[in-house]
Amino acid sequence: MDEKIIELMKSAFNTDDITTMTSQSNCEKWDSLHHLNLIVELEDAFDMEFEPEEIAEMKSFSTIKQQITAKQGK
Amino acid sequence: MFVFRNYTIENLFDEPVRFSGYDNLSDIPESDSYLWFYIAPIGTDNKQTIAEINGIADKLKFVADSIPPSTPFYILTLENLFKVVVSDTDRIVDKAIKTVNDLAWKIASERTNVRVIDFGEFLSLHNPDTWINWKFYFMSQMIISPSIAPAFKDWWRKKISELTFPRKKCLVLDLDNTLWSGILGEDGISGVKMNGDYPGNAFMYFQEALVSLANSGVILTVCSKNNETDVKELWEKNPFVKLGPKHIAAYRINWQNKADNIRELAAELNIGIDSMVFVDDNPTERELVRQQLPTVAVPDFPKRPYGLMEFYKSLVNDYFRTYRLTSEDLEKTEQYKANAQRASEKSKFTDLTDFIKSLDIRIDIIGANEFNTPRIAQMTQKTNQFNLTTHRYTEADINSFIEKGDDVFCISVSDRFGDNGITGEIIVRKEGETAEIDTLLLSCRILGKEIEKAFVKSVLNILYDGGIRIVKAKYIQTQKNGQVADFYDKIGFTLTSSTDKEKEYELKLYNKLPIPEYYNITK
Repeated sequence: MDEKIIELMKSAFNTDDITTMTSQSNCEKWDSLHHLNLIVELEDAFDMEFEPEEIAEMKSFSTIKQQITAKQGK
Repeated sequence: MFVFRNYTIENLFDEPVRFSGYDNLSDIPESDSYLWFYIAPIGTDNKQTIAEINGIADKLKFVADSIPPSTPFYILTLENLFKVVVSDTDRIVDKAIKTVNDLAWKIASERTNVRVIDFGEFLSLHNPDTWINWKFYFMSQMIISPSIAPAFKDWWRKKISELTFPRKKCLVLDLDNTLWSGILGEDGISGVKMNGDYPGNAFMYFQEALVSLANSGVILTVCSKNNETDVKELWEKNPFVKLGPKHIAAYRINWQNKADNIRELAAELNIGIDSMVFVDDNPTERELVRQQLPTVAVPDFPKRPYGLMEFYKSLVNDYFRTYRLTSEDLEKTEQYKANAQRASEKSKFTDLTDFIKSLDIRIDIIGANEFNTPRIAQMTQKTNQFNLTTHRYTEADINSFIEKGDDVFCISVSDRFGDNGITGEIIVRKEGETAEIDTLLLSCRILGKEIEKAFVKSVLNILYDGGIRIVKAKYIQTQKNGQVADFYDKIGFTLTSSTDKEKEYELKLYNKLPIPEYYNITK
């Protein structure tokens, strides 16, 4: 799953410079608009929907992974 | 491109595009083109919505006035994405939106740099419930749902290319099971079906549709494996023929290879093979043409006759749509037919000069004006073969040349077989006693009569009368304009420098140049 998330982040932010440590605070391309692009891609790829409150939380690789795992667990 | 907008639409564009602030017109930066992309304000209070829509009209007018008149300005029509009508008879919001769109069309009719694009066409392809994704709307003002954003990008690319790329010129049509149901050689002239019940009625509709295409300037030709006499008899005697000889500019009805026939048709009509679209129900013929003539467009043919109308629609959308038809487009079939007559006349004469004399050629050299600038711009976009520099220009570009004082002339040619209309142009920049030919092009259908030489010499004489003594010119090589590589040499210019791709020329004018008297030239 890590791999898949990283790939989607790379394509949404149009950069190869993405690791499991990436977050909005250390990634220049990660502005609010690209953030939504990423959410759209994630919803599509993992076949799930995020609520606005969740989307607001998902601002780093690790929080994104947490949200997805939590939803898959349900 | 710089985009004026009132909502978040960044998700609709891949290419580098700059956006205005939300409904903010305080800064209009320089740009190669502009786009107006406003959406009717989302709201439930009609009065307020209407007030805001009226405001949009004022803003649009302000922007159209502020943009330089030679820069392309695209306007997407205003559409209401969230339509809730409590009372069916209440159309006031619709009315306000219509007022804005009427204004857009009015601006486009007054300014040559403005194009209106119907955004409703895109929306109509999608279920209204999918237009807005409210979650993203409330989070970011994103107005068009991400689920239809990829479709918008495709649609937008197509729209822009329609406005900037040339349409195809010619349809090459098969006959049996393409224009009618059945095989003429087996079923006979009254046995093939193009009327009445299914499947005849589907072919009747298809023929009528193709006639409309011909009337919009698409050249129709026929390439069929049949006996020519059978087909002629059918055209003459079968009363249900909608698409007949008067719509067909040229045909090859024989048993030869279709690729060879198509090559011949292109030569006869003097058009490029890459401007042709081949329609045939037989997959083997389609494959042969695809392989031997890879630049010919070969769409798949519907498997069942009831698919013909959808097929017609895709023909138009994929190959023949254009923003605006010029009067030359509308008369094209006649012109190409006259050309084919001229070609057969030509074989009667062994001496070219005798042939030219017999044609009573009349050449009008006309300065650019508001009626012919659309055609002048269109020719720079479409002409490939007889084109010395192949600069592509928009109407706005042409207007800016005229404003700067450059000479822009076009040529209209007629002879005893008919009027070819405006078929060539020259753009000349002048400074003091020196002039430079920026663009020189002629439509291929008037070539072969030395009109090109008479035209250029006439223009040189006009320049001489205006005090010009040195004329510079250039040949820029492309894949298609090899036939004019030596044109300036033939006219008497001197080569001053040359590289692989470019040749520069100069000509000193000491007096007027002689032009054969059998051309009737008016300026």
